[in-house]
Order: sequence, then C-alpha cells, then structure tokens
Amino acid sequence: MTLIIDKSVYNDSVISKVVYWMSGDYKIVRTSLDEFSEQIELIATKAESSESLVEEKFFQLLNDFKLRQIVADETRDIKTILYAKAFAEDEELSEEDIHD
Amino acid sequence: MTEKEYYLLPFDFTKISGKEVLVNELGDMIISPKGTVQKIVDRTLPKDDLYKSLVANFFISEQILPPLIEVYAERLREKKRFLESWTGLHIFVLTLRCNQNCVYCQASSQNEESKGCSMSREIMAKSIELMFSSPSDAITMEFQGGEPSLVPDLIEYGIQLAEEKNKEAGKEIHYVLCTNSINLTDRMLDICKKYGVVISTSLDGPEFLHNSNRGKKDSYEKVVAGIAKGREAVGKDKVSALMTTSVEGLNYPTEIVDEYVRLGFHAMFLRALNPYGLATHNDNWDEYTDRFIDFYKKAFEHILELNRQGTYFVEEFAAIVLRKMLTPYCTGFVDLQSPAGVINSVLIYNYDGGVYCSDESRMLAEFNDYTFRLGSVNDRYEDLVFGKRAKEIANVWANEALAGCSDCALKQYCGADPVRNYSTQGDMYGNRATSLLCRKNKAIIEYLISLIIERYDEVMPIFRSWVS
Ligand code: SF4
Repeated sequence: MTLIIDKSVYNDSVISKVVYWMSGDYKIVRTSLDEFSEQIELIATKAESSESLVEEKFFQLLNDFKLRQIVADETRDIKTILYAKAFAEDEELSEEDIHD
Repeated sequence: MTEKEYYLLPFDFTKISGKEVLVNELGDMIISPKGTVQKIVDRTLPKDDLYKSLVANFFISEQILPPLIEVYAERLREKKRFLESWTGLHIFVLTLRCNQNCVYCQASSQNEESKGCSMSREIMAKSIELMFSSPSDAITMEFQGGEPSLVPDLIEYGIQLAEEKNKEAGKEIHYVLCTNSINLTDRMLDICKKYGVVISTSLDGPEFLHNSNRGKKDSYEKVVAGIAKGREAVGKDKVSALMTTSVEGLNYPTEIVDEYVRLGFHAMFLRALNPYGLATHNDNWDEYTDRFIDFYKKAFEHILELNRQGTYFVEEFAAIVLRKMLTPYCTGFVDLQSPAGVINSVLIYNYDGGVYCSDESRMLAEFNDYTFRLGSVNDRYEDLVFGKRAKEIANVWANEALAGCSDCALKQYCGADPVRNYSTQGDMYGNRATSLLCRKNKAIIEYLISLIIERYDEVMPIFRSWVS
C-alpha cells in the first residue's frame, strides 16, 4: 500500500522513527515527491493486515512520535542539567543554560 | 508565571488499555486519559488534580528550573546506584563437565569424564585477584559450570582464598553454587554449610516435564532429593530453584507454578529459553517468543490467584520490573539494566582463563566466537574493564542512546543487552523493530501495567507485598 505524508507536518526524523518501527513487518520504500510530500510504500513481509488498519497505525505512530519530538526538543537542556547534576562531578549548570 | 504557563520536563509515553501512560526519567508513571500528552504539549491542560500530579512528579514545571531539581537529580542518581557500586557479581565457570547434559543445555556442557575443561588452581587464584580489584563493597562469587559440584576441592580452595584476601579487603562477600543438585555430596554440602554458600538449582516443573526436558528418567527424583538435602544442610531459605521454559513446558504454565508451590518455594522466575549453546537448536524463535508471552501471562494469572487465596508467592521478573516502577530504588538484576549489566555488574572468569562480560558471552566462546572476551585473568583489572573491547561494548550499552529504546516509554523498566543483540541479530547495536527480546520485554511490561490500570484494587496489594 502507498501513503503520502506531508513533510511540513511530519519532519524527517519523525517519519524515520515510524518507518523504523514498521520495518519489522514491512519492507518500506520512501520516495521524496517534492518539497512538501513524501511517498511511503509498505510491502507486508509477514501476515497482512487490512490497509485501513495499517494506515491508522502509521498515522498514529506519526502523531505520537511528533509529540515525543516536541517533548524531547523542549526538554533537551533541562535533561542535560539533570544528568549533569546527577552524575557529573563539578558540573555547575543553572537556569542560564536553558535556551528557549 | 511566564507566557508558557509551564515548562516540560523529560518524559515519554505509550498507550496501554485505552490510557496514556506517561513515564519520567525516574520511572515514575502517571496513567492518564488519551489525549493528555497533546494537551500538555499544547498547554491546554486544565489545572486539575492531574496537572498537580504532573508538577509534583517531575513531568512539568512551573519554573524554568524545577525548584526541586536537586531532589530530582538525587533520585535519578539513586536509580542508577548500581553504577557506583561497580561489578558485584563474579561468575566462576569451574568446569564444563556435567553429570546431566540436558537436552536444552545453555552452558555447552561436556561429558562428566571429559578432560581439559576444568579451571586450574592458578586460574582460580588469578580470577580471585581480579574479583578483589573491583571497587564494589559487596561481591558475590558464583560457581557455575557445567556442574560445579563435580569439583568441590576447587570450590573450597577458591572460598578459602577469597576469605583470606577479604581479611584485608573487608568486603561483604556472598557465595552461590549453581548446581543441578543431582549429586550433592556430603563433602559439597559441608562446604556450603561452613561458608554460608547459597544453593541455586534448576527445576523445570513437574516430574514428567522436568525429566523430558533433561532427557533423563530420574532427574526430577534426584533434583528433589538434592533440594531436600540442601535445605537440611544450609537452611530452607538458602536454596532456590530456577526454571527454564522449554518448548514443551510452554503447555504447562499452571502445572509448573504448582510444582514450585508444592515443593515449598515462595518465588519463581518465569524464564524463557535463551538462544545460546545447545538452546539454539530450537529453530522457531519467533513462534517460541509469542508462545512464551502467552505462557507467562497464564502462569502469572495463576500466581495472582494463589496470592489472592493467601499463598505468598512471587514472580521474580515481575517483581524486578515492579520495583523499578513502584519504588525509588535501583534493582541489581543484570538483564534489565541500562547501562547494561555486562561489565558494570558482572564479570565471568572462564575455566580456561578467559574473562568475559557476561555468562552468555562465554557461551558464544564455546562456539569459537570470542567477540565478548575482554581479555584473560593475566590482564590487569583496569585493562579488562576499561579496555578497547569494553569501550566498544560501552558504545551500545545504554538504551537511553539506542534507536527504538531511546524514545520508548518502557526503557526505565527494561535494559540494554548488546550480547543478546549480537547473538540473535548479528550486531551489538541491534534492531528493536525485529528484536524478540524487545518483543518479550515489551509485552510483559505492558501486561503488568495493564493489570495496574484495569485491576488496580486487586493487584496492587499483591504487587506492593512483592516489592516491599
Ligand atoms: S528493548 Fe524494547 S521494550 Fe525495552 S526499552 Fe528498548 S524498545 Fe523499549
């Protein structure tokens, strides 16, 4: 089956993560169509599911990974501070090290 | 308050039983309605009890730097405390000789009469030197094989040497004998009694199953007699048993649990076969994994039922995961750690003087694959644990930094296993999308969370009793 993904909605990193998890059950071919869209072709390598279920799963994963990406991007600095405080010796990081 | 209303703190999420399960860096879990994460990210979350709980549990912060960041950092440090204590488990593979040679043997055992596959005293002494080089205050010296009880003199020699060295080192030291209990001689039991050696034996379930797994007619009878003898010698609580779920065993979840209860055990580890040694002869791991997950759930339901009826009985794998979920402490279980248990928590001294990073890695060596050989007992401790090979392994031993795991909500409860990745997928990094270990761990952890969501009042008293 073939899906068209809007690249302005889902960036490459998000699409790649979905493709990674789907690759256990599908052979996946990615083709960039233009600046804004990408074609994803999924060929089942195990038991086939209905196309609508696969599509639903794919878009659910896209949305979930997009949310994870937002959380990861917004928390990158605080995560660094947290881990530095927990494990690094003599690491003095503060509020100034968090970039909006 | 800024225009952002609140700031996000690192967390991941997954969907289980129609809910969104949010997990932070500490493994603290919040179960919330679907759509919660979208609201958190969009800043449209109402300031209700869920909001307060998210603030109180380090999922969001009203200040750019959470006022309790030091507490958060200290709790994170506690969760990874096993790193500070360094290698605690030291496994001594004394011999490949075995008096049983089971059908699914994972330890590549040799015939009882085989020559040249037992540890020399010189290698034992050097291994003990290395063990004492570990900075860990508490160390466990575990004797494995083959069947280590075939070499009681070597065990006693090793323990005496360790005791002698410990007069100066002053470590807390534990001894474990991993034995099939087929022939626990008085001599062996005297050693166990004298030095407080804990006995860990193998029992796969009821008689017909155990004997069929082992390919013997009287193995069960001998093991049960060995357990009784061991209990008499060292005390009931110092004898534990470990089962391995053979393909045939998959059909008998309740019978296996009942056998453990009948023999007076209060805990069992529902353990899958692993793809090492002769166990690789099972050819359909895909199917086995799915059937094992099903087996696990059936056996677990039976264990819950026993607990409900008043029999205290723990499933150990679940208890480890639940301890990570429900307590602020780290667990010392090497297979569910990140950074991985290899080297950080366990070192193996093989009978031939090779030093390996895990029990599984020395089994690979029996098939001439020395990928995980860190060096030999003649090397310096520092060169073994900080050497080139150790560094290569360290690149891929944290699931916080592995594709698939890094944004998996269950990573705080799971672990990284470069050796398993290598042996089943051909490279240490591994691919989570096709990993059967990932499939199994994920299914079991999600199942435990689903029980908490769907049957909270029923299961939580039992789970709390297991982790307290
Ligand atoms: S192995 Fe699988 S379940 Fe475990 S943390 Fe990685 S992705 Fe999650």
